[in-house]
Amino acid sequence: MRFEVVKTIYKAALSDPKIIFLTGDLGHAHADDFKKNLPGQYYNVGIAEQNMIGIAAGLALSGHRVFAYSIAPFATLRCLEQIKVDICYQNVGVVVIGVAAGYAYSTCGCTHHAIEDIAAMKALPNMQIYSPSNPLEARLITEYLLSTSSPAYLRIGKGGEPDTKTEYALEIGKGLIVKPGNEITIFATGTIVNEGIAAANILESKGISTEVINLHTIKPLDVELIESRAQTRNAIFVLEEHNIIGGLGESIARIICECAGSKKPLFRCFGVPDKYNDRTGSHKYMLSCYGLNGESIAQKVSSLITKA
Amino acid sequence: MAESTYLAEQAHKIRNLVLDMIFEAKSSHLGCALSIVDILTALYFGDVLRVDSQNPDNENRDIFILSKGHACVALYATLALKGYFPIEKLKEYGTDGTKIGDHNTLGALPGIETTNGSLGHGLPLGIGMALAAKRAGRQSRVFVLVGDGELQEGSNWEALMFAGHHRLDNLILIVDNNNLETMGSTDGILSLSDLNIKFDAFGWDNRNIYGHSFLEIIHQLNTPRDKPFALVCQTTKGMGVPFMHGDHIWHGKCPTKEEYERAKRELNRGEQ
Repeated sequence: MRFEVVKTIYKAALSDPKIIFLTGDLGHAHADDFKKNLPGQYYNVGIAEQNMIGIAAGLALSGHRVFAYSIAPFATLRCLEQIKVDICYQNVGVVVIGVAAGYAYSTCGCTHHAIEDIAAMKALPNMQIYSPSNPLEARLITEYLLSTSSPAYLRIGKGGEPDTKTEYALEIGKGLIVKPGNEITIFATGTIVNEGIAAANILESKGISTEVINLHTIKPLDVELIESRAQTRNAIFVLEEHNIIGGLGESIARIICECAGSKKPLFRCFGVPDKYNDRTGSHKYMLSCYGLNGESIAQKVSSLITKA
Repeated sequence: MAESTYLAEQAHKIRNLVLDMIFEAKSSHLGCALSIVDILTALYFGDVLRVDSQNPDNENRDIFILSKGHACVALYATLALKGYFPIEKLKEYGTDGTKIGDHNTLGALPGIETTNGSLGHGLPLGIGMALAAKRAGRQSRVFVLVGDGELQEGSNWEALMFAGHHRLDNLILIVDNNNLETMGSTDGILSLSDLNIKFDAFGWDNRNIYGHSFLEIIHQLNTPRDKPFALVCQTTKGMGVPFMHGDHIWHGKCPTKEEYERAKRELNRGEQ
């Protein structure tokens, strides 16, 4: 995903000198072209995220579209107040790119995990949040961000995510139905959307028609779509690689509760419980600690529906 | 000498406005605002800043960032006197619904370039604006005014490293070095030690001067440099009102009626 994102920005920057890429000393290989061919539009600011965000905002105040790049927890939490004051309150055109969403840097431990970033970014007025599930979506969202000037947080994977076999379009701010179904709905965001699809396929084989909706835009949320499912589904589930406190699930729950005509469907959020995990391992292992894989999710959904 | 008298008159007017505004609004940060009045006077009335109050968004202008945003009343008064907006506008300060609050906010008044309040933000913003000016081939300089206590924020040192490394010679840092912060003396709370040695080490040209000398401030700020420049101004918190001089209580205290009247008497007798 990071290759797609940086390559997309680089291509646009070749013909637009207003585009600037800042990195907090990250980007081996995928930012090499930028560094080599557009040195005036590329700055490695060093390992200094607060300064990076301030510089980004200063450049944006002067008319530039700026992309500030680091590992997700450092890009968001280390410099949260700079993002609040310098970017969001001043409402300037900076895109914060957080690499390695959730447990993507699985073996690096809690310091490098990002399970609080959505909560922090979500509470900032003016901030938009995008969370693509694959490299194609990462490219399409980046292309959109190049065409606008709003503050935004782009939450992407670490790399190596499988790409789609075919191209498809997505509408910014609108959920994408990646698997149709008409009994229950699973909303998911980021690379974990694939686990949602795996779960839905298992449930389908058990005769439960399951829809999966990819919410690549977390803010602004597709309220209309969520309300329509609140009015028609018996059960709604949310799947996210984030603390269940402050994540996507809470936002969806609020919309369901406030929705006129809601069937008050069974609702559960599958995410990270509110505690730190001092174990490390593969990305797959980390997700399995919380049952965030297709099989476990299908099992839990099946059990909940049976009880209901 | 004539210029110096003119500047002293401007500074005197600003101090009176600052006192009136803070007393009327029952707000605070009086000592902090009085501390920087002579620096602001030199910048805006001493032919340092290349700005046009009638065309505040001119893209070739110099940029001034008040990073110690809590002293913004002095900036509001200075901008009014410079003609950015009518002086009557200052009466809004401290009223319900105004954008002219206790910290400078982008868009609140013409001439305000950035939002500040939380400390340690001005210098990184200034670097971004200085880089943008260089990229566009503009001659604009960027001036950032910080307090000495503010330099305890680590973000400043990230920024100092960056500007020194990139030799941003269109960036100027001014330190209002009154050696006082909210709870007492900066030296006693968390000493900055010798700032000039630090600026040297970070690759900045720098000087240390008496911060209430208009001519010295102007001379230093208008001298061309080949790298970023830090001007450490030795200032007195509460300058212009002798009974407030060097007392940290005037960081956060609002003057009573008696204190306000005494301050006005002392200020207008010219007791400094």
